[in-house]
Amino acid sequence: MKKAILLIVIAFTLALLILSGCAHKTVKTVSPSLYGTVDATPIQSQDESPSTVTPSEAEDMGDVFSEIEDEFEEQSLKVADPLESLNRAVFYFNDKLYFWVLKPLAQGYNFVFPDFARKGVRKFFRNLLTPIRLTNCILQGNATAAGTEFVRFVTNTTIGILGVWDPALDLYDLKISDEDLGQTLGVYGFGNGFYIEWPVIGPCTLRDTVGRIGDWFLYPVNYIEPQEASLAVWSFDKVNKTSFRIGDYEAIKKTAIDPYTAIRDGYIQYRNALIKE
Amino acid sequence: MELNNIEKSNKPAKVLVMRALFCAVLLLMTPGITIAADNRHAAEALLKDKLDSVILILQSKNLDIQGKRNEINNIVTPMFDFSLMAKLTLGRKYWPGLTKEQKGRFTVLFIDLLKDTCLEKISLYTNEKVVYQGTVKIKNKVHVETDLISGNSTISMLFKFFKSSNGWKVYDLEIEGVSLIKTYRSQFDEVLRKGTIDDLLLRLEKPEKN
Repeated sequence: MKKAILLIVIAFTLALLILSGCAHKTVKTVSPSLYGTVDATPIQSQDESPSTVTPSEAEDMGDVFSEIEDEFEEQSLKVADPLESLNRAVFYFNDKLYFWVLKPLAQGYNFVFPDFARKGVRKFFRNLLTPIRLTNCILQGNATAAGTEFVRFVTNTTIGILGVWDPALDLYDLKISDEDLGQTLGVYGFGNGFYIEWPVIGPCTLRDTVGRIGDWFLYPVNYIEPQEASLAVWSFDKVNKTSFRIGDYEAIKKTAIDPYTAIRDGYIQYRNALIKE
Repeated sequence: MELNNIEKSNKPAKVLVMRALFCAVLLLMTPGITIAADNRHAAEALLKDKLDSVILILQSKNLDIQGKRNEINNIVTPMFDFSLMAKLTLGRKYWPGLTKEQKGRFTVLFIDLLKDTCLEKISLYTNEKVVYQGTVKIKNKVHVETDLISGNSTISMLFKFFKSSNGWKVYDLEIEGVSLIKTYRSQFDEVLRKGTIDDLLLRLEKPEKN
């Protein structure tokens, strides 16, 4: 029964992915020629310095501005967001979930457990993610990274006592390769599809959702029986992770004008950077 | 001068001409050397200098968090072209449509917000190390790639400089591939597509309202 539901979900998302055309949606915000006329006046603003110039003088569209503006226009890669109103509702839910549940839990947890214990837990779960990273290193054709992940796993699981310690990094400087199926699909040329904000999980796209489902099978915690125990372990990992990041979300929110857009675009930029690596 | 020498001295004229040429070449080369050095590494040197000072402040035990914030603000501010950054967040699409007064107000409000963003977290750090990963030059721009190492975690930071008449200035900062300017651009675009510039200015004044 569980399997049947899962298969339906996978089939559904795959169908959506295909229907959405899988392509990047490049939106060039404005064609420069439309506003070309405005550029006619400027040229002098090159010698403005922030220390001497009062903001009101900074109105010319100088050469520097044009050149740098081109850079941002070329790179403006926007993600389609057809579910925006639904996504915003889920974002609101996740926001409350963080402030009312996750943050107080993580703060209490933070208070009870010393730093080294929390770090050990983080490393333990990171080690459990090795099958996902290793598989995706192979899928991306990166033999060196795959080899490193393998050696890391063997070293950390044995000498590192089930992964709570990271001797591979500390002693041999073997760095983690944070690969996942979403990135692999990106490397294969699949676009984001569109943006999805999942309850609890947070920012995602159609492509990364498919990736997460694929990775789900490679994560040992998901095979714990009964399912309640699996969920409990998963939640413990989430609280532990959050305990290191208290304040990050608050900082983003505080400095954002529209936190939903800030996080959506931040997520897309972050994922694009990871795929490029 | 050289001609006189040639006539008076016993040395063969050829040697003196060679010497003169050598001097001339040397003279020509000196500015060349400084220009090359300026382009390639001046931005990185500036950044290194600034970040070293920031790390010193962060490690000092005599300052409280507010004091650290102020000091860091003083060190870092001259390196940024904040008014250019303000323009870039609105871009060609919106900036030219603002009145002079709106431009002024927007720039002031945006700079406050940006400084908050940058100073918010940085003043909480204590024991960080910066590793320089390399510099890329693109026309009049130089991108300096750095890694901020804090305990076991590494945060990649890309400082984007352009050459102004006052030396190198930062126009954007990417943290883990997320660009400050791009993130604000899409937020402002979101607000301005649905509302007016006055809505945006109001939200910049009272961000906590949302």
